[in-house]
Amino acid sequence: MKRIILSAIALCSLLTAQGQQDVIISGSVQSDMLLSTQNEDNKQNESGDFMSNTYLDVMLQSQYIDAGARMEYMEHPLPGFDNDFKGWGLPHFWVKGKLNKADMTLGTFYEQFGSGFILRCYEERSLGIDNSLLGGRLMVKPMNGVTLKVLSGKQRHYWKWDGGLVSGADAEVSLDEWIDGLQRHGTRLSLGASWVNKYEKDEDIFVNKDHRLNLPKFVNAWDVRTNLNHGPWGVLVEYAQKTQDPSFDNNYSYDNGHVAMLSGSYSKKGLSILVQAKRSENMSFRSKRSQLGTPLFINHLPAFTLDHTYTLAALYPYATQLADGEWAYQGEVGYNFKRKTLLGGKYGMNIKVNYSYVRAIQRAWFKWGSDTYYQDLNVQMSRRLTSDVKLNLMYMNQRYNKTVIEGDGGMIHSNIFVADALFQLASSTKLRTELQYLTTRQDEHDWAFALAELSLAPHWMITASDLWNHGDTKTHYYQGQLTYNIDSHRIQLGYGRTRAGFNCSGGVCRFVPATRGFTLSYNYNF
Amino acid sequence: MEIKILYKVKQTAKRLLPFGLLTVLPILSACDHIDENDRLIYVEPVVQNDSTLTDSTKTITSTLRTVLLEDFTGQMCVNCPKGTEVIKQLQDDYAERLVAVGIHGGPLGFKGNATTIGLATDLGDKYYDSWQLEYQPVGLIDRHGAVNYTDWVTEVRKEMAKTSSISMELEATLNDNQITIITKATSLEGTYDGQLQLWVLEDSITATQKRHDPIDNDNVTISDKNYLHNHVLRCAVNGSWGESIHLNTNDPIVKTYPLTVDAAWEASHLSIVAFLYNNSGVEQAIKTKVKE
Repeated sequence: MKRIILSAIALCSLLTAQGQQDVIISGSVQSDMLLSTQNEDNKQNESGDFMSNTYLDVMLQSQYIDAGARMEYMEHPLPGFDNDFKGWGLPHFWVKGKLNKADMTLGTFYEQFGSGFILRCYEERSLGIDNSLLGGRLMVKPMNGVTLKVLSGKQRHYWKWDGGLVSGADAEVSLDEWIDGLQRHGTRLSLGASWVNKYEKDEDIFVNKDHRLNLPKFVNAWDVRTNLNHGPWGVLVEYAQKTQDPSFDNNYSYDNGHVAMLSGSYSKKGLSILVQAKRSENMSFRSKRSQLGTPLFINHLPAFTLDHTYTLAALYPYATQLADGEWAYQGEVGYNFKRKTLLGGKYGMNIKVNYSYVRAIQRAWFKWGSDTYYQDLNVQMSRRLTSDVKLNLMYMNQRYNKTVIEGDGGMIHSNIFVADALFQLASSTKLRTELQYLTTRQDEHDWAFALAELSLAPHWMITASDLWNHGDTKTHYYQGQLTYNIDSHRIQLGYGRTRAGFNCSGGVCRFVPATRGFTLSYNYNF
Repeated sequence: MEIKILYKVKQTAKRLLPFGLLTVLPILSACDHIDENDRLIYVEPVVQNDSTLTDSTKTITSTLRTVLLEDFTGQMCVNCPKGTEVIKQLQDDYAERLVAVGIHGGPLGFKGNATTIGLATDLGDKYYDSWQLEYQPVGLIDRHGAVNYTDWVTEVRKEMAKTSSISMELEATLNDNQITIITKATSLEGTYDGQLQLWVLEDSITATQKRHDPIDNDNVTISDKNYLHNHVLRCAVNGSWGESIHLNTNDPIVKTYPLTVDAAWEASHLSIVAFLYNNSGVEQAIKTKVKE
């Protein structure tokens, strides 16, 4: 019944939009499928041998009204998601009215205030995250340089909206739009402030047979920030605080939450510098206090660590410790050695050094806790050797506290080496190869990875890779893929196996099974 | 000049209005601050509404419910001892009215090797998979769905408030390595259709357990070789899902089962658990020590 009502609302939205003149229709299809040939654990998958996550987005745009809807089909979902992820329906439907200086959205929507410290509604399909809000949002630009947002709604929790009511407001003012002096000197200065309120009804959470927790029904969070840019320099300062919010994540603590961030950057032709520091404490903020796992987060704290794309560099990825808190630092220097110099050679060379360090906190603000959570020092060099060959090299030294991040496993200290070469074989033929090696005395010891990717422009791409654990299990995780692109269509057929693992957070661990089988991905934009 | 300044002040005030509104908004919403001394609310303990105890002149239609807590645990599960701590607290609060069973299995279970005792069983894996559980520790309380360990106190209390229309008796006697189990089930009101399940549990098994050290410090894990495991599920007496049973009002059914003690078990540490369940959950449970 609910689905029918939602479908009707969506249809009405679409029809309303169609009534307008000059309607632009756009959308996309994404379908990822797995035909499992053998479960690595020899267990029958709950979804059977065929699994698929499929999304169909449709959007209609006109001068005054936009509308959209998304159908999702995960009745037989890919492995590694919560049980509740399974299902199908129309979880997204929205209509947006636009006037000169204002727009209003009714239905589902995504939003972020500032850096997301107190509100970030977003979608990350690979992780099964979609914490969109169902409700209303008003955005007004009453004058130049001022943006005001007000919203209220309930968060998506897979196929229901069962969290508390989330409401909030955000104001962003660009002072340089008002102050001539700033504009004259090329300085941009903005101030921002946000507030978010969560209302959640009382519930019984007993600590023993005759005492239950006195739970706050309202939790407030606020955020202030300023961003200054002048020439190559940039500074962002942001602070957020949250009132008492006892939850499963923080072991039903009544402490307030805080997060403060300072980020400075310098960017001039050929040179870039980034320095960041952040301290957070008890900032897990969900619309359902007893929720565990990934759903129903209202906020998001970015990890101050490099988001690696190379397979072995990303083998031990850091995840922000929202509830426990952390001190996080990151520094990065990039320098471009010019062509025809001693170090730059004939084609020039780019060097980037990145260092990030995350550590436990203490109650005293500026004191470190005893444990290192994560450390990553990496040096990347990018250089064209000849007109047809380009080489990227990376060395990375990593410390990963698996106990803190995943629940168990101790400190893993690894050294990672990556060589990535791109060969232009012909005008429309490219070959990219990767060789990677990770060495560590802990966990599953050493890993090796090799990849070859042949691009036959404009349509074809053939990829083969093997991730090999030769330090412990001696297992190969091989994959082969054939990709075909034509116009807005992309289809990819593959075969391979993935490794099993545990996804641990908030005191519990969920098993993500290994798989082996054929994969088929289809993407289409229209 | 004055007019110009006044105009500028007005413009600035207008521009800063959004911030003013933003300051007011939190005031409009209620703000709950709960002082340290007000964080717990006293609630009357569960009233034990047992007609067998309160009124002997009327027909007996219900009795106290004994709650079954199935704890899905594993020796490789660092957080599982946190669940065990909750069980200890519940046993202190409710004594024999709570039957806790440690079901070792699932991905974090350990079945043992030549040097280390493993407590996980195929039966434990079967239950873990059948209930479609996703993480550990997790519990079933009277089989009403998966419950996170931090909610066990709340959910057990809710079950304790219910009565049961079934009364059960259970005896287990050891003789020459053979246990004779006698169970009796009586419906006090109406008919009951369900399954009768009997399990063997063992207490005081010293075996390895991964855990935090101390248990509430998530940043340190150890492999504790001297961890004491209690109420460990060893086997099912009458099949993985028990056997069908039909009860009529005040028409007790008595069943007897022989069971040979496995060489790996310590007979003096064994208990038997019997319970009745159907699609509505567990209706009644009982536990008894094996008497020698």
